[in-house]
Amino acid sequence: MSVYTLQKLLRDVNRIPERRAAYFGSPAKFAEGYDLTGRERDALLAFDVRALYDMGVHGLILRPFTILHKMSDPDYVKVLRGEQP
Amino acid sequence: MTISFACAASHAPGITAWSEAAPAAQKDTVYGAFGELRARLEASGAEALILLTSEHWANFFLDHMGAFCVGRAETYGGPIEPWLKIDKREVKGEPALATEILETAYERGIEPSFAYELQFDHGTMVPLSLIMPRMDRPVVPILFNTLAPPQPSAKRCFEFGKLIGEIAARSKRRIGLIATGGLSHDPGERNHGVIDSDFDQEFLAAMAEGDGARLCGYSRADFAAAGAGAFELLSWVALAGALGGRRGEVVAYEAVKPWATGVGLMSFGAAA
Repeated sequence: MSVYTLQKLLRDVNRIPERRAAYFGSPAKFAEGYDLTGRERDALLAFDVRALYDMGVHGLILRPFTILHKMSDPDYVKVLRGEQP
Repeated sequence: MTISFACAASHAPGITAWSEAAPAAQKDTVYGAFGELRARLEASGAEALILLTSEHWANFFLDHMGAFCVGRAETYGGPIEPWLKIDKREVKGEPALATEILETAYERGIEPSFAYELQFDHGTMVPLSLIMPRMDRPVVPILFNTLAPPQPSAKRCFEFGKLIGEIAARSKRRIGLIATGGLSHDPGERNHGVIDSDFDQEFLAAMAEGDGARLCGYSRADFAAAGAGAFELLSWVALAGALGGRRGEVVAYEAVKPWATGVGLMSFGAAA
């Protein structure tokens, strides 16, 4: 069920303006409101896109989340394909 | 009254959010085609639109997924994405038509879910803002689950579309249909940016011929091989069902790498 919660968190950031503001205000504090595993929390707080993807986050949740982080399309593709750390 | 307007169009967010990333010739072709669809909608006299569309976790989540959802709201708002470069707008709903679709569907053994509140994301707002920029006709959105497996089969979507077409055709009002999504793309996934133009051309040819048998033959594996976003073509299959074999015209097709999508636009003229 954990990836479910992680995806729920990311989706909330993507679609609810107040949640988005809270996340960008303090990602660590925001994450406390969700029952994440340690691995998930670490990947989120490190903005480790590849790890989030490998955990099973849906592409159409992850890509909008990375757009909010101003990650370009080419950079996103490179990260997913392991061509960039 | 016969269906007065019908078209299908891709809805890649890059079309508006990073339009300038596309080669100028491709961007001009796509925007020109949207302009053509806009002109044809205006000329058609359509009074209301049924939108065969999909969403990207804007309304639905894994706590409750259904195959189809019919919108019964008085108004819809969107887009939800602050980065889409489309101003947030309201679009009027058409709840009476939505209810007629639902009641007829349930009588005939198809049971879509329904919602009195829905938000639009790029899946609806990109094509709508370019085809009906004044947002001056009411809409009934019908959302297809194209996100989470199992998605409905092409055959089921075709059957549902057939029913939608019958309701549109028997209406005293002039009804238009817009299908959105596709073509090949794998948004946010490992093959993000990969476009399968052969798949796209074959699918467009089947749509142009109104070839229901061919369209119903597309399997989940066929769509998946063309990328996760190709499931959005289920709404196009439903449109073909609604049009009952009417032939269509490919107004434009461009494999736009910076938009990571095979972008297609089709128009379907008056019934033969």
